[in-house]
Amino acid sequence: MGRLKNKLFAKILTRLPALGTALFDKKGNAIEGLSLETIPWTPVTKPLSESTIALVTTAGIHLKSQTPFDMHDSMGDPTFRELPLDTPPGELTITHDYYDHADADKDINVVYPVDRMRELVEAGEIGSLVPVNFGFMGHIDGHYVKRLIEQTGPEVADRLKAMGADAVLLTPG
Amino acid sequence: MRNFTESARPPRTVFLEWPMGHPLGEPGNVAQQMRVIRDALSALVEIKEPGTIIDLPYRWGRQEDISAFECACDGDE
Repeated sequence: MGRLKNKLFAKILTRLPALGTALFDKKGNAIEGLSLETIPWTPVTKPLSESTIALVTTAGIHLKSQTPFDMHDSMGDPTFRELPLDTPPGELTITHDYYDHADADKDINVVYPVDRMRELVEAGEIGSLVPVNFGFMGHIDGHYVKRLIEQTGPEVADRLKAMGADAVLLTPG
Repeated sequence: MRNFTESARPPRTVFLEWPMGHPLGEPGNVAQQMRVIRDALSALVEIKEPGTIIDLPYRWGRQEDISAFECACDGDE
Protein backbone atom coordinates (compact mmCIF):
# COMPACT_ATOMS: atom_id res chain seq x y z
CA MET A 1 0.00 0.00 0.00
CA GLY A 2 2.88 2.33 0.85
CA ARG A 3 4.45 1.80 -2.58
CA LEU A 4 1.13 2.51 -4.32
CA LYS A 5 0.74 5.76 -2.40
CA ASN A 6 4.29 6.82 -3.32
CA LYS A 7 3.72 6.01 -7.00
CA LEU A 8 0.44 7.94 -7.11
CA PHE A 9 2.05 10.96 -5.46
CA ALA A 10 4.93 10.74 -7.95
CA LYS A 11 2.50 10.75 -10.87
CA ILE A 12 0.75 13.85 -9.52
CA LEU A 13 4.07 15.65 -8.98
CA THR A 14 5.19 14.81 -12.50
CA ARG A 15 2.03 16.26 -14.03
CA LEU A 16 1.94 19.25 -11.66
CA PRO A 17 5.49 20.58 -11.30
CA ALA A 18 4.09 23.73 -9.70
CA LEU A 19 2.86 21.59 -6.81
CA GLY A 20 6.37 20.29 -6.23
CA THR A 21 7.69 23.84 -6.23
CA ALA A 22 5.02 24.88 -3.72
CA LEU A 23 5.70 21.92 -1.44
CA PHE A 24 9.47 21.84 -1.49
CA ASP A 25 10.88 25.17 -2.61
CA LYS A 26 9.64 27.14 0.39
CA LYS A 27 12.02 25.42 2.77
CA GLY A 28 15.35 27.05 3.43
CA ASN A 29 17.20 23.78 2.91
CA ALA A 30 15.39 21.14 0.87
CA ILE A 31 17.51 18.22 2.04
CA GLU A 32 17.20 17.55 5.75
CA GLY A 33 20.48 16.87 7.48
CA LEU A 34 22.55 18.20 4.59
CA SER A 35 24.77 21.13 5.40
CA LEU A 36 27.60 21.64 2.96
CA GLU A 37 30.08 24.41 3.57
CA THR A 38 32.16 23.95 0.47
CA ILE A 39 31.50 23.23 -3.17
CA PRO A 40 33.76 20.67 -4.85
CA TRP A 41 35.64 22.14 -7.78
CA THR A 42 37.90 20.61 -10.37
CA PRO A 43 39.10 22.97 -13.11
CA VAL A 44 38.67 21.91 -16.72
CA THR A 45 42.11 21.42 -18.22
CA LYS A 46 41.46 19.90 -21.64
CA PRO A 47 38.96 20.28 -24.47
CA LEU A 48 35.80 18.15 -24.48
CA SER A 49 36.99 16.44 -27.64
CA GLU A 50 39.89 14.99 -25.63
CA SER A 51 37.96 14.35 -22.41
CA THR A 52 36.63 11.13 -20.92
CA ILE A 53 33.11 11.60 -19.60
CA ALA A 54 31.12 9.47 -17.14
CA LEU A 55 27.40 9.30 -16.44
CA VAL A 56 26.00 9.06 -12.93
CA THR A 57 22.24 9.04 -12.54
CA THR A 58 19.97 9.10 -9.50
CA ALA A 59 16.99 7.87 -11.54
CA GLY A 60 16.97 4.37 -10.02
CA ILE A 61 18.47 2.63 -13.05
CA HIS A 62 19.98 -0.84 -12.77
CA LEU A 63 20.45 -4.00 -14.80
CA LYS A 64 17.60 -6.47 -14.71
CA SER A 65 20.08 -9.03 -13.34
CA GLN A 66 21.00 -6.79 -10.36
CA THR A 67 19.19 -6.44 -7.04
CA PRO A 68 16.58 -3.67 -7.40
CA PHE A 69 16.81 -0.59 -5.19
CA ASP A 70 14.97 -0.97 -1.87
CA MET A 71 11.49 0.51 -2.14
CA HIS A 72 10.32 -0.68 1.27
CA ASP A 73 12.66 1.47 3.38
CA SER A 74 11.08 4.92 3.65
CA MET A 75 14.56 6.43 4.05
CA GLY A 76 15.50 5.20 0.59
CA ASP A 77 18.51 3.22 -0.59
CA PRO A 78 22.01 4.79 -0.59
CA THR A 79 23.66 1.95 -2.56
CA PHE A 80 24.66 2.09 -6.23
CA ARG A 81 24.67 -0.18 -9.26
CA GLU A 82 27.31 -0.58 -11.95
CA LEU A 83 26.00 0.24 -15.43
CA PRO A 84 28.49 -1.14 -17.99
CA LEU A 85 28.63 0.86 -21.18
CA ASP A 86 28.21 -2.28 -23.27
CA THR A 87 24.94 -3.28 -21.57
CA PRO A 88 22.58 -4.56 -24.30
CA PRO A 89 19.48 -2.46 -24.96
CA GLY A 90 16.61 -3.82 -22.95
CA GLU A 91 18.79 -4.99 -20.07
CA LEU A 92 18.35 -1.75 -18.17
CA THR A 93 15.35 -1.15 -15.94
CA ILE A 94 14.18 1.38 -13.34
CA THR A 95 13.18 0.78 -9.72
CA HIS A 96 12.14 4.11 -8.19
CA ASP A 97 8.66 4.81 -6.80
CA TYR A 98 9.26 8.48 -6.10
CA TYR A 99 8.93 9.86 -9.64
CA ASP A 100 6.83 8.80 -12.61
CA HIS A 101 9.24 7.00 -14.95
CA ALA A 102 6.70 5.92 -17.57
CA ASP A 103 8.45 8.06 -20.20
CA ALA A 104 11.92 6.93 -19.11
CA ASP A 105 10.72 3.32 -19.42
CA LYS A 106 9.97 4.08 -23.08
CA ASP A 107 13.32 5.80 -23.69
CA ILE A 108 16.01 5.46 -21.02
CA ASN A 109 17.85 8.45 -22.54
CA VAL A 110 15.28 10.73 -20.89
CA VAL A 111 17.12 10.15 -17.59
CA TYR A 112 20.30 8.29 -18.63
CA PRO A 113 21.46 9.65 -21.99
CA VAL A 114 23.88 6.87 -22.83
CA ASP A 115 22.91 6.64 -26.51
CA ARG A 116 23.23 10.40 -26.99
CA MET A 117 26.68 10.35 -25.36
CA ARG A 118 27.81 7.55 -27.65
CA GLU A 119 26.67 9.65 -30.63
CA LEU A 120 28.71 12.60 -29.34
CA VAL A 121 31.78 10.36 -29.14
CA GLU A 122 31.19 9.16 -32.72
CA ALA A 123 30.83 12.79 -33.82
CA GLY A 124 34.13 13.66 -32.12
CA GLU A 125 32.54 16.22 -29.81
CA ILE A 126 33.69 14.35 -26.71
CA GLY A 127 36.72 12.10 -26.45
CA SER A 128 35.41 8.93 -24.85
CA LEU A 129 33.18 7.45 -22.18
CA VAL A 130 34.21 5.43 -19.14
CA PRO A 131 33.48 1.70 -19.51
CA VAL A 132 31.21 1.62 -16.45
CA ASN A 133 28.71 4.28 -15.40
CA PHE A 134 26.82 4.29 -12.08
CA GLY A 135 23.20 4.33 -10.98
CA PHE A 136 21.84 5.59 -7.67
CA MET A 137 18.28 5.93 -6.39
CA GLY A 138 17.67 9.60 -5.67
CA HIS A 139 15.24 9.31 -2.78
CA ILE A 140 17.77 9.41 0.08
CA ASP A 141 16.68 10.60 3.49
CA GLY A 142 17.62 10.54 7.18
CA HIS A 143 20.80 8.73 8.18
CA TYR A 144 21.34 7.51 4.61
CA VAL A 145 22.34 11.04 3.55
CA LYS A 146 25.48 10.67 5.70
CA ARG A 147 26.19 7.22 4.28
CA LEU A 148 25.83 8.51 0.74
CA ILE A 149 28.18 11.43 1.39
CA GLU A 150 30.79 9.52 3.42
CA GLN A 151 30.74 6.06 1.83
CA THR A 152 28.94 5.25 -1.40
CA GLY A 153 29.42 8.64 -3.07
CA PRO A 154 33.21 8.74 -2.49
CA GLU A 155 33.52 5.08 -3.52
CA VAL A 156 31.95 5.84 -6.90
CA ALA A 157 34.09 8.97 -7.26
CA ASP A 158 37.25 6.92 -6.62
CA ARG A 159 36.22 4.33 -9.18
CA LEU A 160 35.47 7.00 -11.78
CA LYS A 161 38.88 8.57 -11.18
CA ALA A 162 40.53 5.18 -11.56
CA MET A 163 38.79 4.78 -14.93
CA GLY A 164 40.19 8.11 -16.07
CA ALA A 165 37.03 10.21 -15.98
CA ASP A 166 37.71 13.90 -16.58
CA ALA A 167 34.11 14.98 -15.91
CA VAL A 168 30.81 13.47 -14.82
CA LEU A 169 27.35 14.29 -16.13
CA LEU A 170 24.87 13.83 -13.26
CA THR A 171 21.23 13.30 -14.15
CA PRO A 172 18.30 13.13 -11.72
CA GLY A 173 15.05 11.21 -11.97
CA MET B 1 12.48 21.66 -7.16
CA ARG B 2 15.41 24.01 -7.79
CA ASN B 3 15.89 24.11 -4.04
CA PHE B 4 17.16 20.52 -4.00
CA THR B 5 19.94 21.47 -6.39
CA GLU B 6 20.81 24.53 -4.35
CA SER B 7 21.06 22.37 -1.20
CA ALA B 8 23.22 19.67 -2.81
CA ARG B 9 25.63 22.35 -4.09
CA PRO B 10 26.96 20.70 -7.25
CA PRO B 11 29.87 22.59 -8.82
CA ARG B 12 28.09 23.27 -12.14
CA THR B 13 24.39 22.96 -12.98
CA VAL B 14 22.01 23.54 -15.86
CA PHE B 15 18.42 23.64 -14.62
CA LEU B 16 15.15 23.11 -16.48
CA GLU B 17 11.71 23.68 -15.05
CA TRP B 18 10.40 20.50 -16.65
CA PRO B 19 8.34 17.72 -15.05
CA MET B 20 10.19 15.34 -12.74
CA GLY B 21 11.55 12.32 -14.54
CA HIS B 22 12.37 14.28 -17.70
CA PRO B 23 15.78 15.95 -17.23
CA LEU B 24 16.63 15.34 -20.90
CA GLY B 25 13.11 15.92 -22.20
CA GLU B 26 10.65 13.74 -24.06
CA PRO B 27 11.09 10.06 -25.00
CA GLY B 28 12.30 9.67 -28.56
CA ASN B 29 13.02 13.38 -29.01
CA VAL B 30 16.68 13.02 -29.95
CA ALA B 31 17.15 16.66 -30.96
CA GLN B 32 15.77 17.90 -27.64
CA GLN B 33 17.90 15.47 -25.61
CA MET B 34 21.00 16.44 -27.57
CA ARG B 35 20.36 20.14 -27.04
CA VAL B 36 20.21 19.74 -23.25
CA ILE B 37 23.37 17.60 -23.19
CA ARG B 38 25.28 20.08 -25.35
CA ASP B 39 24.19 22.92 -23.04
CA ALA B 40 25.36 20.90 -20.03
CA LEU B 41 28.71 20.16 -21.66
CA SER B 42 29.10 23.83 -22.60
CA ALA B 43 28.41 24.75 -18.97
CA LEU B 44 31.28 22.50 -17.92
CA VAL B 45 33.64 24.84 -19.74
CA GLU B 46 31.81 28.15 -19.32
CA ILE B 47 31.04 28.11 -15.59
CA LYS B 48 33.93 29.62 -13.65
CA GLU B 49 32.25 30.19 -10.28
CA PRO B 50 31.63 27.05 -8.15
CA GLY B 51 27.94 26.47 -7.50
CA THR B 52 26.66 28.34 -10.54
CA ILE B 53 23.22 27.27 -11.76
CA ILE B 54 22.32 28.17 -15.35
CA ASP B 55 18.56 28.28 -15.96
CA LEU B 56 18.00 27.03 -19.49
CA PRO B 57 15.25 28.93 -21.34
CA TYR B 58 13.39 25.96 -22.81
CA ARG B 59 9.73 25.59 -21.84
CA TRP B 60 7.96 22.27 -21.53
CA GLY B 61 5.95 21.97 -24.70
CA ARG B 62 4.19 18.61 -24.75
CA GLN B 63 0.54 19.49 -25.08
CA GLU B 64 -0.88 16.54 -23.15
CA ASP B 65 1.08 17.56 -20.06
CA ILE B 66 0.06 21.21 -20.39
CA SER B 67 -3.60 20.17 -20.75
CA ALA B 68 -3.40 17.97 -17.66
CA PHE B 69 -1.88 20.88 -15.74
CA GLU B 70 -4.62 23.29 -16.86
CA CYS B 71 -7.41 20.81 -16.09
CA ALA B 72 -6.09 20.24 -12.58
CA CYS B 73 -5.76 23.99 -11.98
CA ASP B 74 -9.33 24.56 -13.20
CA GLY B 75 -10.54 21.92 -10.79
CA ASP B 76 -8.89 23.71 -7.88
CA GLU B 77 -10.76 26.91 -8.47
